Amino acid sequence: MNTPAPPVLTVSGLEKHFVLHNVDGRRVEALRGVDLVVRAGEHVALAGSSGAGKSSLLKCIHRTYIPSAGSVILRRSDGTEVELLDLPDHEMAALRGRELGYVSQFLRAQPRRTPLEIVVRAAVQRGMDKAIADEVAADALTRLRLDRGLWDVHASVLSGGERQRVNLAAGTVSPPRLLLLDEPVSALDPANRDAALELIAGLTSGGVAVLSVFHDLDAMERLATRVVVMADGRVVGEGAPSVVLPDLEVAR
Amino acid sequence: MTAEWVLSVRGLGKVFGPVSDEVIAGTGPEHGSAKYGPTGSVVAAWGVNLDVAAGEALGVIGESGSGKSTVMRCVVGDLEPTVGSVVLRRSDGSTVDIAALDPAARRALRIHDMAIVHQNPVDGLDLRITAGGNVADRLTAAGWRSFGEIRTRAAELLDRTEVPLVRMDDLVRDFSGGMRQRVQLAKALANNPSLVLLDEPTTGLDASVAAGVLDLIRSLLDDLGIAAIVVSHDFSVIEMLTTRCVVMHHGRVVESGLTDQLFEDPHHPYSQRLVSAARA
Repeated sequence: MNTPAPPVLTVSGLEKHFVLHNVDGRRVEALRGVDLVVRAGEHVALAGSSGAGKSSLLKCIHRTYIPSAGSVILRRSDGTEVELLDLPDHEMAALRGRELGYVSQFLRAQPRRTPLEIVVRAAVQRGMDKAIADEVAADALTRLRLDRGLWDVHASVLSGGERQRVNLAAGTVSPPRLLLLDEPVSALDPANRDAALELIAGLTSGGVAVLSVFHDLDAMERLATRVVVMADGRVVGEGAPSVVLPDLEVAR
Repeated sequence: MTAEWVLSVRGLGKVFGPVSDEVIAGTGPEHGSAKYGPTGSVVAAWGVNLDVAAGEALGVIGESGSGKSTVMRCVVGDLEPTVGSVVLRRSDGSTVDIAALDPAARRALRIHDMAIVHQNPVDGLDLRITAGGNVADRLTAAGWRSFGEIRTRAAELLDRTEVPLVRMDDLVRDFSGGMRQRVQLAKALANNPSLVLLDEPTTGLDASVAAGVLDLIRSLLDDLGIAAIVVSHDFSVIEMLTTRCVVMHHGRVVESGLTDQLFEDPHHPYSQRLVSAARA
């Protein structure tokens, strides 16, 4: 029978606190010991009120935050495992992209780059051949319903929703093995949001391991294979969306 | 995975005035100064380690007097470090310790293997000659002799750095600030250096012009695979161009990390102050 694949991501005992040296050396706790696994083809959605530590967890895995204690192990495409907390900066930088991706709410791009260039460059950076990258970039922008007339204008003139779709396209073309999504559809209207969720759903069926933060339960219900509930920097529950989400709805 | 460093700086220190253990121990961020009162010595830089790989840009952040210019001057060989090594790997794979070279060998290195783009174009260009002439200068210094080949190569470089070719024979003094930086970039890239130093490359330009120059630099770094060091006090410049950076303060590196991490989770009190000031 099916033995479950080894996890792509194994987080254990993860803690994060900030020391604010310029505010009386105050210590702020963000994560108080998080354990979590995500397997290939799994979409794990983090739920919980704001301040629960969901984004902090994503940022600690991406090393945008340096965790204070614990372990984050990533299983790479070649099957080897690597402890991200011990990894030298330049190796972490190299790992980002092909193995580990992070899509935030906001597009960070050079103002004079065009949407098509941004997405093509992202694909090429993850090792895709330029000719194929042109094709998949066009495909991604089409699927995200970005008006073709905007493909070759400077990204700086795009609206918030258009920028967000470019960002999502760039983050998901030739997808990394583990994808961290932090509110990637927050600025989209219903029709565009629907297309974006469709695209994200396709990633999971393609074998990408996804760990996400969405503020709406509807997106979680549609995408998540498992929901992990966080509160006060800890994991306080998890289960299938059909089991966990109704309780959260009531708690609102 | 073994990283192929293009530049490796180890234990670099530069002290103006007498050096002793007391001078080193009595200066730095925890003393709030790079100057040691009793002897008047200035520890402009101490214990600096940097590595830059091909295709990578490293940022150096700090306010004036932090020691970033001293480090850069030691890297390019303008200044002899008191201690430490500055090892450059040339495109043929051989390595050389810049700190141990004689002046003639340093000059040769500056022509063939590394280039600087200065904040002030006057430091990098001869304003009295044409854009093409400035680029040609660097090529002839490297031994190019055929007029036709030099002209073709200069045109190619200027085109790559977005200088309209109709302006190739105009004097650089008639160029705008943004266009002068583009000519500097063309000249810097002339001999395919393995390392480029960008010293506040957009400081002093209008915001819209700076954005264009930054965009060009980012594309050049992406496409040419050269190693770069970007020195700036401007966070948006560091954020756009670099993947890793170091923060200098009173002659010491107080923190180093991935650029996004340094901006979102700075640890040293000084870095935290810098980041919150920039975000305000």
